[in-house]
Amino acid sequence: MRILVIEDDLEAAAAMTRGLQEAGFETVHAADGALGLAAARDGEFDVLIVDRMMPKMNGVEVVETVRREGDNTPVLFLSALGEIEDRVTGLKAGGDDYLVKPYAFAELIARVEALSRRRETGAVATTLKVGDLEMNLINRSVHRQGKEIDLQPREFQLLEFMMRHAGQSVTRTMLLEKVWEYHFDPQTNVIDVHVSRLRSKIDKGFDRPMLQTVRGAGYRLDP
Amino acid sequence: MRLPRLFRTTPFQLTLLFLALFAGAAAPFLGYSYFATAGEVARRADADISREMGSLQAAYRLGGVNGLNQTLIERAAGERPFLYLLMKPDGTRISGSLETSPVEERTDNDSWASFSVTETDPDGAPVKRPARGLQRKLSGGELLFVGADVGESESFVASIVRALWGAAALVLVVGLAGGVLVSRNVSRSMQGLVDVVSAVRSGDLHARVKLRGTKDEYDEFAAGLNDMLDQLQRSMGGLRHAGDAIAHDLRTPLARLRARMEVALIDVEAGKGDPRRALETALDDADGVLRTFNAVLAIARLQSAGRAPDQQEFDPGELAADVSELYEPLCEDKGLEFKAEVTPGLPLRANREFIAQAVANLIDNACKYTPSGGAVMLRVRRRSSGEIEFSVTDTGPGVPDEDRARVVQRFVRLENSRSEPGAGLGLSLVSAVAEAHGGRLELSEGPGKVGEMGPGLRVALVLPSAPGA
Repeated sequence: MRILVIEDDLEAAAAMTRGLQEAGFETVHAADGALGLAAARDGEFDVLIVDRMMPKMNGVEVVETVRREGDNTPVLFLSALGEIEDRVTGLKAGGDDYLVKPYAFAELIARVEALSRRRETGAVATTLKVGDLEMNLINRSVHRQGKEIDLQPREFQLLEFMMRHAGQSVTRTMLLEKVWEYHFDPQTNVIDVHVSRLRSKIDKGFDRPMLQTVRGAGYRLDP
Repeated sequence: MRLPRLFRTTPFQLTLLFLALFAGAAAPFLGYSYFATAGEVARRADADISREMGSLQAAYRLGGVNGLNQTLIERAAGERPFLYLLMKPDGTRISGSLETSPVEERTDNDSWASFSVTETDPDGAPVKRPARGLQRKLSGGELLFVGADVGESESFVASIVRALWGAAALVLVVGLAGGVLVSRNVSRSMQGLVDVVSAVRSGDLHARVKLRGTKDEYDEFAAGLNDMLDQLQRSMGGLRHAGDAIAHDLRTPLARLRARMEVALIDVEAGKGDPRRALETALDDADGVLRTFNAVLAIARLQSAGRAPDQQEFDPGELAADVSELYEPLCEDKGLEFKAEVTPGLPLRANREFIAQAVANLIDNACKYTPSGGAVMLRVRRRSSGEIEFSVTDTGPGVPDEDRARVVQRFVRLENSRSEPGAGLGLSLVSAVAEAHGGRLELSEGPGKVGEMGPGLRVALVLPSAPGA
């Protein structure tokens, strides 16, 4: 998996590429917007990580240009601007996700994994299958080992998201953003309560637990 | 050459323009007045003469020169006699009250003439009076002149003309004087505004325009300017205050973080303590600082913006149901009964994300401070005042009367809540959200003490309903 990191802060970039390499990604670093654009045009990348504020050409311009040229590589914006409007501007320019600085490595890696995975699932699936867990998206039913599991609508959405990212860590913030569509800090870890409820429904009574807690990161659904 | 200040003012120039327009409009009006009054008098005199001429011509047709002569003699004895002169075709006088004709040439056509007659006034002094007459060639070749003393109508016309000129002069004088007055008044009004603007420009944000209480456009504008300055001053004050507060609020946790790292370093150097553990704690501390920072920043931004951005219309009931769904399991896990009572379809225009966050904070607080076995209730309704209310009532320990205003302030956490996690920014963020939507936050006592349960707290976020609904 090749990642292009476009970030003008060299120290931050070094730390980031180090973290990504540790997680098994191959990284290329570009130190400003213009160099980043050139690199994005040259090489095949699975994900672009783009800082928003850079000299010469800012991140939004880079991504707008990349998109105009027909390149649909997933883009993760990094920004010190955390306001809702800034996020919207980034997503409108063609970004796929938005992470506010400073961030935890676990958060960055989980999001990069989610973005790189998204590319592979091209066709619209009607069923999702992870291990012995099956989800039917048409009649919205879930079975594990042939046994029907009864879920609330939000639990269904939560499980669907986890199944689409099976094998990857997903953070609490990601779940809050993608499943509940809230971008604020809920203070208490409300997400944990929802995940533990879901866990008791899909894992209780089965020999092997699927929903794992990843320390310092979040959760992972293993097949 | 610089004109005196008064003449350079816009109002004065406008007055001059109006004066010119007014004069332009008055000229034809006065002209018409002249035509309709003085002109009419002259035309009527001419018509009288023409009529007299007609009747004499009729007498001539009936009785010839002699008949006409007879008629002239009779007419001359009348009340207000015309002036007559009958002449042979060569111009020699036959009879009449005039000696010679004021019309010198003897044409075949009618000719009018203005002349004067000398009369004696009651004192015996000769007086020249204006007269006017018509000379016509009769069918036999004789010339007949009929004239009339027009002295009276002439003086009448003269007085009308004098009056019209007087009116014109009055228009100019009143217009100019009015212009000067208006201009001075306007300049005085403007001067107040100009003074304040230049004072503000030179850095005095406290300068305000003194209102005159006239409720005119200038007062309105001045009031608007004052409001704008108030707002500006508040924003700047808010920013300064926020800056101070951020510095203060972040210094404390940063100092703690630093101290912890220093102690860890000493421990590691001394060969005791686990550096991994120390780093993990430091990371948690840093995350805590960041959360505090984000919350303080959000509050400061809301406060300095004055108005929440990106407002849209949505159903507050739906939002409440959404947030309830997020928090309900949390409450239940803590052994609390959670209930939501929502009036659907209320009209609200607000920033959805901020309101969601505010409601989430209220529920989060209630769950946090209510002991197990208690209840938390979220309610969305429309008050009789039309305002929309989100209220969260709990059966927790409540907040004593004297502390209610204080808990809304940033970072205030009451003694008994120190053991709970959180930065103490929840309610102040809700309060900032309320203010940014033109609403307010109300704290009151909950349902009251029941058995083991405390008096409880009821926190209401009250927002104005969407306009036009």
